Amino acid sequence: MSKSIPSPRNLLSLEPVRRAAFVAGLRRGTPLLIPTAIWGLVAGVAMVKTGLTTLQALAMTLFVYAGSAQMAVLPLIAAGAPVWIALLTATIVNLRFVIFSATLWPYFGHLSLARRLLLGFFAVDMTVAIFVAHQDSAAEPLSPGMRWFYLGIAVATWVTWQSSSIAGILLAGLVPARWGLEFAAILALIVMTAPMFQGRPAIAGCIAAGTVAVLAAALPLKLGLVLAVIAGVAVAMATDLVTEQRAGEPR
Amino acid sequence: MMTAAEIWLTIAGLTAVTIVTRNVFLVLGHRVTLPERVQHALRYAPACALVALIAPELLLTPGTFVVDLVNPKLAASIATIAILLLTRRAVLAIVAGMLAFTLLRLL
Repeated sequence: MSKSIPSPRNLLSLEPVRRAAFVAGLRRGTPLLIPTAIWGLVAGVAMVKTGLTTLQALAMTLFVYAGSAQMAVLPLIAAGAPVWIALLTATIVNLRFVIFSATLWPYFGHLSLARRLLLGFFAVDMTVAIFVAHQDSAAEPLSPGMRWFYLGIAVATWVTWQSSSIAGILLAGLVPARWGLEFAAILALIVMTAPMFQGRPAIAGCIAAGTVAVLAAALPLKLGLVLAVIAGVAVAMATDLVTEQRAGEPR
Repeated sequence: MMTAAEIWLTIAGLTAVTIVTRNVFLVLGHRVTLPERVQHALRYAPACALVALIAPELLLTPGTFVVDLVNPKLAASIATIAILLLTRRAVLAIVAGMLAFTLLRLL
C-alpha cells in the first residue's frame, strides 16, 4: 500500500489505496470469522428454540444485528415480559455501543453524516475491537484508507454473522438441546477475546470488568454489564496513569 | 410467550435501539469533547465488554447468582485458552473446549 497521500489532482490514485485497505480489513477479520460464525449459528438456533417463527427470526437477525442484545431479550420474549422491559434490557446491553461510538469518533468524526451512520451500523464488538487494536499498533494510524480498512473488517463480520445466523435459524430443528451448543458460543467469544489480553492496562481493565460483571450480575435489566464496562475502562485508565512512561508507545 | 404483535414490536424496537446506541457519539460527537485520557482509555472498552459478557457465564451457577469456581464450563474454558495459546488455532481450541465440556458433564 502506497504511503504517499494523493494530491487532489490525482484523486483516482486513491482507488488502489482504498481497495488495498479494504482487502487488508477483510484479511484482518479472517481469523475471527469462525468464532463469529459459531456465535451467529448459536444465536440463530436460540431464536427458533425460543419460539420465534422463521420469519421473525430472520427479521431479527437481519435488522437488529446485535447478538448479545438478541440473546438477552429471548428469555423475556419466552416469558411474555412487557415489550418495554425487553427494550430497556436491550438498551442497557447495548450501552457499550455508546462507548464504542465514542471510541470511533476520533477516527471518523470528520466524515459526512451518511458515512458516519453507515460505519456506525457495522460497529459490532468484533469490528470495533479489531479496528481499534490495529489503529493502536499501526505506525501511521490516521491513513486515508482507514475507513476502507474498517469496512473490510465490517463486511467480513457482517456476511459471516448473517449467513451463520440464517443457517442456525433453518437448521435449528436438527440440534438437540442436550448438546449444550450455547456453550460453543461462549467459547467462541473467549477465543475472540483472548488476543486482546495485551499490556497491563488491558489486562487490569478486563479483570475489573469481569469481577464487576459477576458481582453485579443480580442487578435487574443487565445493568451489571454497563457497570462492568465502565469499571473496566476506569481501571485501564488508572493503570495507564501508573505506567505513564509507556504512554504514546502502543502495547 | 409474547404475542406475535409484541414480538414484531420488540424486533422493531431492538432495531431502533441498536442503531441509536451505535451512532450516538458518531452523530453528536462534535458537541462533546472527551478528555484525551478518557479517549485513550476507551480503546480498552471492547475487550472489557467482551469479558463482562463472558465472565458471568463461566463463574456463576446457571440460573442463580452464586459464584462457583469448580464447574465444567470454567474448566473447559481454561482448556480452550491453553490450546489456543499452544496452537494458535481458534477452531481446534473451540472443538477441544466442547469435548472437555461434554466429558466433564458426563463424569
